Amino acid sequence: MSSLIKLENVHKVYRLEGGEVPAINGISLSINQGDFVALIGPSGSGKSTAMNLVGCLDTASKGNIFLGKHNIQHLSESDLAQVRGKQIGFIFQTFNLIPSLNALENVALPMMFQNVSRSVRMSKAQKLLEQVGLANRMGHLPNQLSGGQRQRVAIARALVNDPEIILADEPTGNLDTKTGEEIMKVLKGLNEQGKTIILVTHNPDLTKLANKVIKLKDGKIIGNSKSSVGGKNESS
Amino acid sequence: MRFDYFLLAVNSIRHRKLRSWLTVVGIVIGVAAIISLITISRSLESTLEQQFETFGANRIFVSGKGFQGPGTQSNGLTIEDVETIEKISGIEYVAPGLFRSAEVKYKEETGFTLIGGLPAEQYEKFYADGGLKTTEGRFIQEDEKYVAVIGSRVAEKMFSKEIGVGNKIEINKLNFKVVGVLEEIGNAQDDNQINIPLDAAREVFAEPEKVDMIIAQVKSGTDIPDMQEKIEKALERKRGDTSFEVVTATQILEQINQVLGVMQIVLVGIAAISLLVGAIGIMNSMYTSVLERTKEIGIMKSIGARNPDILWIFLIEAGLIGLVGGVLGSALGTGMALGIGPIAKEAGFPLIVQVEMPVLVLGLLFAFIVGMVSGILPAYQASKMKPVDALRYE
Repeated sequence: MSSLIKLENVHKVYRLEGGEVPAINGISLSINQGDFVALIGPSGSGKSTAMNLVGCLDTASKGNIFLGKHNIQHLSESDLAQVRGKQIGFIFQTFNLIPSLNALENVALPMMFQNVSRSVRMSKAQKLLEQVGLANRMGHLPNQLSGGQRQRVAIARALVNDPEIILADEPTGNLDTKTGEEIMKVLKGLNEQGKTIILVTHNPDLTKLANKVIKLKDGKIIGNSKSSVGGKNESS
Repeated sequence: MRFDYFLLAVNSIRHRKLRSWLTVVGIVIGVAAIISLITISRSLESTLEQQFETFGANRIFVSGKGFQGPGTQSNGLTIEDVETIEKISGIEYVAPGLFRSAEVKYKEETGFTLIGGLPAEQYEKFYADGGLKTTEGRFIQEDEKYVAVIGSRVAEKMFSKEIGVGNKIEINKLNFKVVGVLEEIGNAQDDNQINIPLDAAREVFAEPEKVDMIIAQVKSGTDIPDMQEKIEKALERKRGDTSFEVVTATQILEQINQVLGVMQIVLVGIAAISLLVGAIGIMNSMYTSVLERTKEIGIMKSIGARNPDILWIFLIEAGLIGLVGGVLGSALGTGMALGIGPIAKEAGFPLIVQVEMPVLVLGLLFAFIVGMVSGILPAYQASKMKPVDALRYE
């Protein structure tokens, strides 16, 4: 299996007024295509920072991060934006939808930055919203939707440019248990369709769907285990 | 794809209706002020030009030094100077005039206004050459003495009762019969004048010899500056001094235009200040908008927006606010300028307000650019934000 994401001795240091605070302290790991990886650890462990680095939202202080063959440490901001737009789909705890755009427009937005024509954008966004079960909510603004519905819109948005990698940062954190389970099922389904999924969570219950669990503490990997249940490789 | 950014910008403006409108109002005021002031002062210029064209294009005005226009005393011209000018070839006729203020009484009411005295036999031709008509009655005829032709405002506004042909008025205790009322000339001074024969004016002002102003009508087709020089030389030779002034209608117009020019600069300066305030308003609003939407910027970046994309979205938004302000401001400014027309007419100056397309286009363009320029800094800042920092912002 070729490794899709590879981190080599990655450090991230935040410079604050009181001095330097290390958030990631020499992490090396490798994630294969089709993996369902759970990044788990208490708050402050560096799991979100790690996700931000992989997601090209932030740059590492030291070390190399490879996405496919490219070392993203050497990419310009503009190229990083392209990587984010094309190869990665984000799902956030707080959904992060644009409040002034309706569900359909929110889902279609990432395609705008890839110069996709309006008609294609709209039909594709429509199709995805239908897939996540929001066919009758397309014209609704985010504040007219429930949390679960919002997260479905966010998932549809994450999928719209057909990325290889889905990064989910506490996707169920703001949802009730039942809705959270539904969202996790959607993620699992996506993994089964071949998407590589990185799930950041502090909830150990959610890791059971993953085929790989990486435990972080104080910016270091303290455990790297393969789950016997989840993951496309093992489950199929 | 720029059109999509435009739609995004429209969406965001609509989402923050009140703030957007308040920002727009700032621009509207600035643009309206500039448009109306430029339109009015340009209309003023062209109205004056038109008046001079019909009134005094072929005329040269000679006055003694110290005579600064009707109503002030001259110290030097006499009937001899009139004769000197008459002898110059190219002169059609010369009208010696007395122009002084006097007390006027009509039906127990008294007022104070300008009295003009020209030779009785010249009135008809003088007015005809100036393109003036009476609305009522006739001009003063040869050999008449205690008769008056009054300006339109004298007839209508000076006294509580309107004066008409056949009425009697008293000027410095002498009785005059009104034989004609002039049509509106368009400036308060001329419309407030009472015209009487020169002989009568000499009696009214007890001025048997002196002349306040000599108006020389030049034959049409003659070179005016050339005639002006000839008159100056002839008078200098004959009088042996230079205590007189010879000006043409064009020169008077130039002087007025100079004053108008200064006024225009001052007015436009004031308007520019208000536009600047509007620009600061846009900048302020854009900064708040950037701050308010920091998270949105982060979201857009996380789904693939590059720095230039963010820059454009915010720039277009700022430009749009400017443009909307420009459209409304131009409309309001034009309306204000058009509204000044009737007010000016009421005040004795029939201003012909002309709305000029280039001025409107300039106003629009200006507003758009002001919007964009004030948006540049906030937009640039927004675009430079690191996605992770922007996303973390609450």
